[in-house]
Amino acid sequence: MAERPEDLNLPNAVITRIIKEALPDGVNISKEARSAISRAASVFVLYATSCANNFAMKGKRKTLNASDVLSAMEEMEFQRFITPLKEALEAYRREQKGKKEASEQKKKDKDKKTDSEEPDKSRDEDNDEDEERLEEDEQNEEEEVDN
Amino acid sequence: MAAAAAAAGSGTPREEEGSGGESAASQPQPPANAPGARLSRLPLARVKALVKADPDVTLAGQEAIFILARAAELFVETIAKDAYCCAQQGKRKTLQRRDLDNAIEAVDEFAFLEGTLD
Repeated sequence: MAERPEDLNLPNAVITRIIKEALPDGVNISKEARSAISRAASVFVLYATSCANNFAMKGKRKTLNASDVLSAMEEMEFQRFITPLKEALEAYRREQKGKKEASEQKKKDKDKKTDSEEPDKSRDEDNDEDEERLEEDEQNEEEEVDN
Repeated sequence: MAAAAAAAGSGTPREEEGSGGESAASQPQPPANAPGARLSRLPLARVKALVKADPDVTLAGQEAIFILARAAELFVETIAKDAYCCAQQGKRKTLQRRDLDNAIEAVDEFAFLEGTLD
């Protein structure tokens, strides 16, 4: 079943929560307005992706990275997002680094013990990759996406 | 940090598409044990699905997906607040669809939304 990009919505519950926290107490939002915002958020991601991809292509890269997205924000005139996004990125990197070190530590501990085969091991190895390879998924997805 | 852990640590956003969204919708409020580092509430799997929908995109790094998710959150906050200003002028306490339309017309940055929400 081919899904149009605009139909890929972000979960309503999360969208509603974000809206409610952004607005003062006691303010409500109609269902129509909420679903319009949700749709707008999807369009935003699609548009930002497209802009970011342009920057990646300019840099002759095939992989979108964080700085492409930040450049896209600037291009889209959402400069006010750039600082909070940079902070979030720093926090995210720290967290990823922490996880990586934790999983490496786990591995070391595992090696010290007599090892029992754990399915999670392969997942930990995946965590070590900084870049997410979409290629594997794309091979599966090609049947679904009607382009 | 339950939200970040659920979104990134459990491995669901990497390979699976559908399950990531459902689990995010039903998860409880994340504990505020990391002040200011509420990394992302939007499920990375869904954001990744949107990114992959673009036929020109070859690959996207994990960080890029994360930043897009966070940017989308900021966007939702921003547009909600801007729409609320319109509702306030009407002295209403419920945001309506027309408030959103007004905000989109009034704010230059939202011009890309024109015609997309119908």
